[in-house]
Amino acid sequence: MNLDWTIIPASAGALARGALITIALTVLTMAIAVPCGIGVAMLRESRLRPVALLATCFVELFRNLPIILVVYWAFYVMPVVFGIAFSPFITGLVALSLNNTAYNSETFRSGIKSIRKGQTEAALALGMSEAQAFRKIVLPQAWRRVLPVLATTWVTLFKDTSLVSVIAVGDLAHTAMQIRSQSFRVIEMLTAMAAIYWLLGYPQAKIADWIHKKFGVTE
Amino acid sequence: MTAATLAMQPAPRVVLQYRDVRKLYGDFVALSGVSMEVERGQVVCLIGPSGSGKSTLLRCTNALETLDGGELLFDGVPLPRDPASIRKVRQRMGMVFQNFELFPHKTAIQNVMMGPSTVLGLSEQQSRARAEALLVKVGLSDKAGNYPANLSGGQQQRVAIARALAMEPEVMLFDEPTSALDPETIGEVLNVMKALADDGMTMVVVTHEMTFARRVADHVVVFESGQIIEQGPPAQIFDAPIQARTRDFLGHLGWDA
Amino acid sequence: MDFNYDPVLQSWRFLLDGLQVTLLLSGGVAACSLILGTLVGLARRYGPQWLRVVLVFYIDSMRAIPVLVVLVWIYFALPAITGWNLPPFWSALFALSFHLAAYVAEVIRAGIESVRPGQVRAGLALGMSGPQIVRKIVLPQAIVRMMPAFGSLLSLAIKDTAIAAVIAVPELMRRADAVAGQSYAPVEVFSTVMIIYFLIIFPVTRAVDMVYKRIAFLGRS
Ligand SMILES: Nc1ncnc2c1ncn2[C@@H]1O[C@H](COP(=O)(O)OP(=O)(O)OP(=O)(O)O)[C@@H](O)[C@H]1O
Ligand SMILES: [Mg+2]
Repeated sequence: MNLDWTIIPASAGALARGALITIALTVLTMAIAVPCGIGVAMLRESRLRPVALLATCFVELFRNLPIILVVYWAFYVMPVVFGIAFSPFITGLVALSLNNTAYNSETFRSGIKSIRKGQTEAALALGMSEAQAFRKIVLPQAWRRVLPVLATTWVTLFKDTSLVSVIAVGDLAHTAMQIRSQSFRVIEMLTAMAAIYWLLGYPQAKIADWIHKKFGVTE
Repeated sequence: MTAATLAMQPAPRVVLQYRDVRKLYGDFVALSGVSMEVERGQVVCLIGPSGSGKSTLLRCTNALETLDGGELLFDGVPLPRDPASIRKVRQRMGMVFQNFELFPHKTAIQNVMMGPSTVLGLSEQQSRARAEALLVKVGLSDKAGNYPANLSGGQQQRVAIARALAMEPEVMLFDEPTSALDPETIGEVLNVMKALADDGMTMVVVTHEMTFARRVADHVVVFESGQIIEQGPPAQIFDAPIQARTRDFLGHLGWDA
Repeated sequence: MDFNYDPVLQSWRFLLDGLQVTLLLSGGVAACSLILGTLVGLARRYGPQWLRVVLVFYIDSMRAIPVLVVLVWIYFALPAITGWNLPPFWSALFALSFHLAAYVAEVIRAGIESVRPGQVRAGLALGMSGPQIVRKIVLPQAIVRMMPAFGSLLSLAIKDTAIAAVIAVPELMRRADAVAGQSYAPVEVFSTVMIIYFLIIFPVTRAVDMVYKRIAFLGRS
């Protein structure tokens, strides 16, 4: 077996660009999926039954699908629905956001539900308004439950961004596979790809652990 | 006393002997030189304020903690250190916990059978027979098939007592067995313990139930800050305590000496 | 918009065969990762120090590297290094299980650690040995307590199998892609397949939740 690792420094620029796109996808998806997740969680509690039902359907659907399928689906469906072509990056971003919005809405909902009703009642008994009770008593406690889950979701999302490579988003996985098929340096390229993901993902996983330790509530 | 009368008296059978027992948690001194004895058939009650080391002493007795000083003799033999011998010792002591610690995935009778079947190696039939008899004894024969989740606190604690008794222990250790109970179920547990005492079981009981201690104990030991401040028969401790601190402690509980 | 479901109807046998492969692979991944993950989780908790270090490294690495990357590495790079050529299905089974087992191991460990120390003490007080306590007290409760987490891992196992399409395992996702490419009705094909996946995964999640609700008390001490 002859290995030629010079392919790695030779492709460093392309790989770095891919890594940047991977990171950008992660950050942007989370930036979209957190507010949207809160929104959907609120819609699910809506007094209008059809609205709540629709929100529930959305969450249950996207929580229970393979992401790679959602990526393909968005790739084919979005142009048909909107009548214009989207860049692979935008398509991938939409697919990941749909999926993560569904997850995050569940996170927020169960975070808020986990705060006992007695807490709200105690706040109301002190003369706070419903809104005050929610903002000052429920949210700060729910936050401790939500943050660790969001951290885990973040790491998962970072890994899942690799799945948009199937629609040729120039992310790290796609870039590395491209170089592999052009250069035939299979072992070198795939190993480098795994190593770069490891280097990026490992610290994130450790930070997530730390957040769990710091904020996690054990019952 | 002459040598003759000494020989005629049956020597008091000391089951547990604590000699200057010390226990540290890091820098914190949980027990600082505790000496006392428990005789066969005696009921010894340990009382004292929270954090004074009563539970620590029980855990040391059952070798759930190792000593940092002094000696603890069980039947005249120091507690062993190797795991196999420790297990042998534990099989001869029963322990009842404040939070019951029933096994939630086992029914009441399966909880009681756990010791006989896994530790003593009795057959399914033998351990079931033993467990049934014990559930009758604690008044729960009709709850044999219930999971702990479907038992009241008092019932759970009575099952826990039966579970400990199933090992046919020589000594029973109780760590605040009624502290986690609703007031109306405390009585049923204390009655079971009283019946055990009347049967002649050797018992070491950490408790805040002063009425029980006064009525059932042969010997009462008062703890404070990891030390024994006073010990003696209940009449002395409750009616004529020698130490001012004992009086203070009982006074806080609303007990007028 | 005109929808044309003819391609879906014409290829239903082809897609159904894909569904079979998906289910087979899902079952295989679930079983293999459960076994491997349980061993890893136990060894990580109770094993010798050096083994723990190795296993923590494996677990954390799997948490950092995407399953797709593990999959293509095992399918393309491993044969180039070792000379063994595994067919796509077996590569996928191996790679997906190897990745998921790390998560199973974490769940097992968290489950064990969530059992109250008082339960171990109660076992010790009966004179039970360490292994007896683990087998008869800690593990049964840990498994019950971890059911919801196992439920999501099971649905993850099914979802992960769709990624095997990348290495041409002829499962549902791969065949959907093929049908979509030949016909001019990708929207219809992918929407249909989406519903099929949902109809498999959703009941699994729900069933696990329902069973858990009924047996949760077995793990609550
Ligand atoms: N594992 C431990 N690590 C550190 N400190 C401990 C530990 N266990 C007990 N302690 C400390 O030792 C002291 C004695 O504890 P112990 O549980 O024996 O008190 P207690 O007399 O049983 O009190 P209570 O009535 O509240 O049960 C306490 O101050 C406690 O904080
Ligand atoms: Mg105590």
